Amino acid sequence: MKIRFAALGGIMLAASFASAGVGVAQTVSYADAMTMLTRDCGADVKKFCRGINLGNGKLANCLGEHQAQVSPQCTSTLASVIASIQARLAAQASVFKVCASNAAMHCGGVQGEANIVQCLVKTERIDSNACNQAITNAGWR
Amino acid sequence: MNTRLLSRGLALALLLGAVPASAQQMSEQQLVGSLRNVTQAAPAVDVGVLVQELEANAGKGVADLPAWHALAQLPQFTLDVEFENDSVGIEPESYRTLGVIADALHGPLLRDYKFLIVGHTNATGDARHNLKLSSERADAILQALTTTFSVPGSHLIAIGVGQELPLEGTDPKAAANRRVQLVNLGIAQ
Repeated sequence: MKIRFAALGGIMLAASFASAGVGVAQTVSYADAMTMLTRDCGADVKKFCRGINLGNGKLANCLGEHQAQVSPQCTSTLASVIASIQARLAAQASVFKVCASNAAMHCGGVQGEANIVQCLVKTERIDSNACNQAITNAGWR
Repeated sequence: MNTRLLSRGLALALLLGAVPASAQQMSEQQLVGSLRNVTQAAPAVDVGVLVQELEANAGKGVADLPAWHALAQLPQFTLDVEFENDSVGIEPESYRTLGVIADALHGPLLRDYKFLIVGHTNATGDARHNLKLSSERADAILQALTTTFSVPGSHLIAIGVGQELPLEGTDPKAAANRRVQLVNLGIAQ
């Protein structure tokens, strides 16, 4: 546990040295999260939760109910995937709030969310660290 | 933001480095590129009329009917989502496809639009059964997108067209007709 924390701490420290304000993404795409889920839980899903879907928490519930039989890697990855999805959702929801003043200052007059994001990506060097990190975590850079 | 969420998310990001690049047929860029191509002249398609036309023409095909013909003009993308045989269970191998759709629909370019999910089957088996199955499968995809990935419910509609709209020039029984269409209906009101 200590080693893992140290490793994470190391990564986060390295991340803080990365290019001004942007840092390393702390979330993954929904697609990549699903790739992990398939890789680590696919076999268990076919064995214990055949025909049960993503959606409404049913798949997670099923895997949870069979936790004693499901591989530990699957159980661990499932938790990480759920957290990762939530983290990315939160990041995406936060961008326009966190970047509001930057958008007003540097992208005034730009219409449309897509164009505003594009403008914020271009003005990365003068935007706040918080705004830049939110855009990175949203997967919109 | 919740630190624990972030460290778990980061842990996942680290694990991902160990995943070999898989041969994925579809990328978020491709999907967004096809779906964003909205022109001024895009016809407004009423999903209610689509359903009416479908019900009135069960077994006769819908390609030439007005609303379905208009639908074909809208920006769209055809996807392969694998289901357990004769069920609405999405195969684990197709989870990534759902994730790619979620990435695309959450992105700044598509997040203001409304999309129709159209489920298709091939022509093996009973036409009415296929209609029901395709409808339930399209709905399963919608459920996953709106709950697992929190795509706004008001931005998605799901319908099944069964075997009534095979790909042009194909054998209606061809496996290629088992597919899912994602159609951009325009700005969500």
